[in-house]
Amino acid sequence: MEISDEAIHEAVDRYASVRGQGTLANLLAFGRVLKETGVKVSLSQVIDASHSLGLVDIANREDFHAVLRSNLISDREEISLFERVFDCFWQERGLEESPMETVEMSPSASEEKQGDSAGAGGSLEEVVAQASSQDAKLSEETERIPVPTYSPYEALNKKDFSEMGIEESRAISRAILLIATKIATQVSRRKKRAAKGREIDPRWTMRKNIKFGGEIIQLVSRKRRIKKTQVVLLCDVSGSMDCYSRFLIQFMYGLQNELWGVETFVFSTSLSRITHLIRTKDIASALERISRSVLGWSGGTNIGRSLYTFNREYAPSLVSHRTVVVIISDGWDRGDIGLLEREMRSLKRRCQKIIWLNPLLASENYEPLCKGMQVALPYLDLFLSVHNLNSLITLGRTLQKLVA
Amino acid sequence: MNPKKLTIEKIQEALREQQYICDRSLATVVYLSISMGKPVLLEGEAGVGKTEIAKVLADVMETKLIRLQCYEGLDANTALYEWNYPKQMLRIKLEEVSRRDRNAVETEIFTEEYLVKRPLLEAIQSDGSTPPVLLIDEIDRADMEFEAFLLEVLSDFQITIPEIGTVRAKLRPYVFLTSNRTREIHDALKRRCLYHWIDYPAFDKEYEIVMTKFPRVREHLAREICAFMQRVRQMNFYKRPGVAETLDWASALITLNRDELDEKTLEETMGCIFKYREDLHHLKEELASKRLDLDQMLKGSPEISA
Repeated sequence: MEISDEAIHEAVDRYASVRGQGTLANLLAFGRVLKETGVKVSLSQVIDASHSLGLVDIANREDFHAVLRSNLISDREEISLFERVFDCFWQERGLEESPMETVEMSPSASEEKQGDSAGAGGSLEEVVAQASSQDAKLSEETERIPVPTYSPYEALNKKDFSEMGIEESRAISRAILLIATKIATQVSRRKKRAAKGREIDPRWTMRKNIKFGGEIIQLVSRKRRIKKTQVVLLCDVSGSMDCYSRFLIQFMYGLQNELWGVETFVFSTSLSRITHLIRTKDIASALERISRSVLGWSGGTNIGRSLYTFNREYAPSLVSHRTVVVIISDGWDRGDIGLLEREMRSLKRRCQKIIWLNPLLASENYEPLCKGMQVALPYLDLFLSVHNLNSLITLGRTLQKLVA
Repeated sequence: MNPKKLTIEKIQEALREQQYICDRSLATVVYLSISMGKPVLLEGEAGVGKTEIAKVLADVMETKLIRLQCYEGLDANTALYEWNYPKQMLRIKLEEVSRRDRNAVETEIFTEEYLVKRPLLEAIQSDGSTPPVLLIDEIDRADMEFEAFLLEVLSDFQITIPEIGTVRAKLRPYVFLTSNRTREIHDALKRRCLYHWIDYPAFDKEYEIVMTKFPRVREHLAREICAFMQRVRQMNFYKRPGVAETLDWASALITLNRDELDEKTLEETMGCIFKYREDLHHLKEELASKRLDLDQMLKGSPEISA
């Protein structure tokens, strides 16, 4: 979900009133613009940034930029957005203009200035205190002001989720919990002490027997711990999957909330990460947030391209040899089959298991004839059916046997 | 080098003297880290010099480099400290003969003499005049438990050993964390660090690196090498080669006394650049089909004729 230039400008304009109130105020405003456009920035990072500015010559734009970037950014994915916001924000303000004059922001300097808080910048503590109270106000405001989160260029289909009921959610959740524990239980390389186990833990055996004067009387064993696997869920929400969308939502929501460390994505012609949208206790508000921000719901399908994006942008940090990737799709693909195959291969190489859940598999005379499904098939560890509650329960049992 | 008299330019210059070419933004981050006592989190593709900068900085600051290589299952015992149980045991056995006071022995065997110091404790306890450089390499390979533990150590720079007491760092070590992004590092840890992403170098920088490391290489060959590396990084390989590969390759070509690149030389030495069978295969295919035309690329490249 790319944020548009207009949205950035709009966010910058919202803080136009801060202009000329000193660098710290500007910096705080910059931090908030970043936050609103989707970069995670904490107040302590902003404070550190302001301290850092006292250490360099801020007339040098390159250094000024490097200082802000290293302090405020903590992820590569945020860099391009940061650059855009930086250009927009500090270009309008003009580095050469007055705001910069007040930057004598080394800790000692700000202490000296404490006396004249009526001045342009005010003391660090004061501005920070002001900022946090403003922050609270602002977060309320921003909820009322809808920030556009995607560009309007793509023709969108938005699904109205409001009609979706939640009565069956409990039964489904139970079934999902069973599946989730099966998918996500794995033996760790870390060992823990145990009364019984295959190996002896020499360190703890020694330690425990010191009280007997070093004679080995009690043995302590160790065994491997059970470790939670990470799960990445890729959900097809294209038109052909429409009749299952209600179930899909349940599934995504259920899995995400039952398990720790689940990342959820939806795709049709493009891919969106929705983990943060459904990380909430309240399914209704989660649905509303998804419908507001996911584009291309009920559109066409391009599994290959979606996987391509996934492999490039997300897989390096999200998928490891401990990750189980679950794809839910009917396999009807309108994109490039070669691309799909390449991306399936590269995904397979990276992750521990790929499980494909196909709602069509249940119909008696279904064979994976569509090309997309055919090329994907060799890379799957499990190819199973999901379409209703019963199939979910069966799925749970099958997984119990297979994943053990 | 005196940490109080540092400037960005001085750092960049000193690193260059140690044959580490870095752009100003990285030098700025290093400078900030030293001045503010904040750890640096370096991310970037493999082989772009993340680990190297910590090593070089230790030389520049004339201080010790303490390195902690992370791996899955790394725990506090291996990272922090451990009691030397065999030694304690021997001591107890010896004391049995002389029949000394039991309590006295118990206190004695839990003193520093019986402590095995691991990298983190070593870094915190270090008492030289300049703080050591602590390199926590490939933090993404360690697991979440270790990350949480590290968070605690890095926020206070103190360690509590129940039997001895709290050890506090006299001088905050210069901490560098590196990550290859095989998984996401937790936000809390990231937020404590200055962040820098090291990208693949542009042509000029890479050329400078090659010329610095191999002063006797022919300029023309160095240009060809760099132009080729720039080109293949834009292509679709599973593992794109980093600067480390460039240097390996340059060194191989120098050893083989080659003055120029041609397809035969490339095929003989391509193992220096690509380490995956698929990638070697892909390169051969691209060369055979002329999608990657070496001659034309070398001739057509503006950097080489420059």
